[in-house]
Amino acid sequence: MTEQLSRRDFLKLVGTGAASAAVLTGCGPASRYVTREPYTKMPEYTYNGQSTYYATTCRECAAGCGLVVRTMQGRAIKVEGNKYHPVNLGKTCARGQATLHSLYNPDRIQEPSSHVRGDRDFSTTDWDTATGIVAEALKNPAETAFLLGLAPDHLFDLVSDLCKAIGAPAPLRYGALSLFEARTTLGEASRIVFGKPDLLFFDLGNADVTFSFGANFLETWISPVAYTRGFAQMRRGTNRRGYLVQFEARMSQTAMKADEWAAILPGTEELVAAALGKLVAEQKFGSAPALFEAVDVAQAADAAGLPLETLERYATILAQAQNPLVIPGGAALGQSNGLEIAQVILSLNALLGNLGKPGGVYHSPASPLTNSYRRPASIKEISALIEKLNSGKIKTLIVHGVNPVFELPTSLGFEAALAKVPTVISLASFPDETAILADYVFPDHTGLESWGYQQVSAGTGQTLLSGAQPVVAPYYNTKSTTDVLLAAAAVAGGKAAAALPFKDEIEFIQGKLAGLVGAEGGFFNAADMPSFWAEFQQFGGWWKNDPSLGTPSAASALEKKLTPAAAQPEGDGEFHLLVFPSPILAEAGANKPWLQETPDPTTTVMWNSWLEMNPVTAEELGLTDDDVVRVSSAFGEVEVSVYKVPAIRPEVVAIPFGQGHTAYGRYAENRGANPGKLLGAQINAAGDLAFAGVKVKIEKTGKKRPLSRLEGRTRLEAAENKG
Amino acid sequence: MAKHNIPEVKADLENTTGIWGMAIDQDLCTGCQACVAACAMENNIAFVGETDAGYGRSLHWLRIEHAFEGEFPEVQTSGFQPVLCQQCGNAPCEPVCPVFASVHSQAQDLNLQVYNRCVGTRYCANNCPYVARVFNMRDYDRPEPLSNQLNPDVTVRRRGIMEKCTFCIQRIHKVEDQAKSEGREVLDGEMQPACAQACPADAIIFGRLDDPESRVSKLAKTGRGSQLFEDLGTLPRVTYLKEEKDYGRLG
Repeated sequence: MTEQLSRRDFLKLVGTGAASAAVLTGCGPASRYVTREPYTKMPEYTYNGQSTYYATTCRECAAGCGLVVRTMQGRAIKVEGNKYHPVNLGKTCARGQATLHSLYNPDRIQEPSSHVRGDRDFSTTDWDTATGIVAEALKNPAETAFLLGLAPDHLFDLVSDLCKAIGAPAPLRYGALSLFEARTTLGEASRIVFGKPDLLFFDLGNADVTFSFGANFLETWISPVAYTRGFAQMRRGTNRRGYLVQFEARMSQTAMKADEWAAILPGTEELVAAALGKLVAEQKFGSAPALFEAVDVAQAADAAGLPLETLERYATILAQAQNPLVIPGGAALGQSNGLEIAQVILSLNALLGNLGKPGGVYHSPASPLTNSYRRPASIKEISALIEKLNSGKIKTLIVHGVNPVFELPTSLGFEAALAKVPTVISLASFPDETAILADYVFPDHTGLESWGYQQVSAGTGQTLLSGAQPVVAPYYNTKSTTDVLLAAAAVAGGKAAAALPFKDEIEFIQGKLAGLVGAEGGFFNAADMPSFWAEFQQFGGWWKNDPSLGTPSAASALEKKLTPAAAQPEGDGEFHLLVFPSPILAEAGANKPWLQETPDPTTTVMWNSWLEMNPVTAEELGLTDDDVVRVSSAFGEVEVSVYKVPAIRPEVVAIPFGQGHTAYGRYAENRGANPGKLLGAQINAAGDLAFAGVKVKIEKTGKKRPLSRLEGRTRLEAAENKG
Repeated sequence: MAKHNIPEVKADLENTTGIWGMAIDQDLCTGCQACVAACAMENNIAFVGETDAGYGRSLHWLRIEHAFEGEFPEVQTSGFQPVLCQQCGNAPCEPVCPVFASVHSQAQDLNLQVYNRCVGTRYCANNCPYVARVFNMRDYDRPEPLSNQLNPDVTVRRRGIMEKCTFCIQRIHKVEDQAKSEGREVLDGEMQPACAQACPADAIIFGRLDDPESRVSKLAKTGRGSQLFEDLGTLPRVTYLKEEKDYGRLG
């Protein structure tokens, strides 16, 4: 065995079954794959009545949490966290738990198929034909475009290499979560303020006072399991319990855990953050730096709808903190002035002097494979792609890991642009809206049947490459997209074949990992690829033992002059619309029945969408719970049931994103409303959509549609018990 | 006439600490529902669909409660509170079952639900002050191949059966067997029910209440601890640690 891990330690690990992935050291290519055998003939590593555990990486979002999946006789039984994995240390979220419902979803696409666009009947084809069709696309690189999801990274790396070699446009990657987290804006603000584009690492765990501007880090934001752990550490506090103040117009699940909820009006984040900066600077240093000088504190408080004394009290809390931290979240940055908001918030951290200090802001650790920050595409870049699709310059569009017809705001016109592309190839595992509008569906394996890796962009201070391996044999006649592309490249020949000279997906991944074999400071250290590969699979990835966070420097950020302003909302409705990703469903959970039946943390609604509205507003409009209203913006309209909740500003309404599918299987279809239809096309200076800056009108429809919610039951029964 | 000796029984019970217990730190619980999903995945819980869920027939063994208080802008929340079977030492569900399907385990000091005895009177659910029991109103559909994920350690229930949280007794047995085969006691923290194992905030702590040195015993004894409806004398084995909103407040 290796130097890091003695034979005895290794056997102990396997014995406890904690991370006892099958060890396949030195086996030939055939044994690289897990096979599902009949009960009478077990694979040698499977015992009757004994579970086998495989370490892999969760693919329900891009955070890259490590999983250990319990399997029994070739079936995946239960998902558990990988306790060694630095991102989640053995924990999972609800979506991670329900990833088995991806694998065993009854509506999966089972074979490579072609069909008439829009038609739900698929006619089966075979993988050779499929390979030929993809190869044709690779022969015309200038007319081929790839649109990929935020996971998995190994496929993005492969497609990037391929496109570069053959001269195709670089692949774009997108996901609704990247839109709602305004990742491009955060990265761009980091470039402007700190000189390096980065998603940054916010050391929540060691902060004693945290101000969060709409960052829903306990729900979906960037790496929710890691930040929840940070939150718990902050609450346990080494010296004193950490204090959290959440600035947002709607009390989200994260705001419910905050000590104070500051319900500021959407679009006033820049004013509030700058006013806090000015007040803190005056308290701490006697005078405000140029950046915060121009703001009028009283006007800012007034615009935000906060009493001046409250804002001053917040500033005092922040100024007196030992380890203060300010986090810019997606809803704050999804404004017309989102980039300025992000800059002000990052500069506020610089003012507080927490850069590179415990409880402060750090640069993410160096990526194990490349040093560049690989951000998802902004809406501006997506719009450019849509324009290209419309102009007919793209003959083939290949889509993987994302459902753009659903996940992009309808106003961008992706669906109409798709109709102008002669060949659309979807690599989806499920019959989602994009697959229905494609000519071909060549289904990839689901995450638990796949090889791969994910570079972790935030959530841990350690350099980490999370590894994925199949925990069960592919259940249907699906094929790894990597293998499809490798085969197609071989068929296409020329530069494509030269760029991808790999026999299979594993050889490609091992090629990427080659630089890590023998690398210093690793959790394990292996001298050659077969040993490295075995441990990479066993532990679910490779990571360094010590954190390697960078210290941002904001030399001149505070010296710039700035005239903070409120955001310009889009549309002439009377209500601000806040669209937030559903904490349970997020972007792609709607087809998993147990996630549908998991109550929303704030409203306990199951299986549907709702419109959150303050009871005062509801009374003015003559509405009550379960009344169906028509919500309309300049871009579209949806019908949705009202849910009255006191924890939202009266001039703001909110709809969760995640429901409203027209396809995507029996559990998702025709259920709820897609607020993506209401979003506009206004983008901020970083190219992200100002999704939180839309105003809407609300009309009564006279209809009533009761929402199924858990709380009704307990509330009713409690009342009955009292009587 | 038979002589009732209920007071003595109760006194006897009150001297026991219980065997397995749980502490839930409400200051850490973020209401993320990871425990709810993990519980469903571990225990083969069926999903019932939108309509039945609306009628309150969903089969969650564990639910997270919270309440908003006050009007905007003075809105407070009560804090997230996961509610599950409290595994009462003196359980109201047990004496009402006519067929002894709801019985007390002497070995583990848990409330058992014996599925193959249950005839579906629902008396136990009516008598449970915690609304912790759920009833299978139908045979709920689990379309193929979803049944592939069924946990072979847990019975699949069908129509007419009452069910509830078991403290993941299948895991307790597994851990005890493992310890026995190695000739040792079960270690503190070795046994984790699915909810505690998943909890990202580590707000759910599980362990032996009869071991005063265990993490759960120590937490249960801190001043923050309380039990649901303590005054009913049900002797719950779950302790809730209250939120500490004002601690460490600055300014």
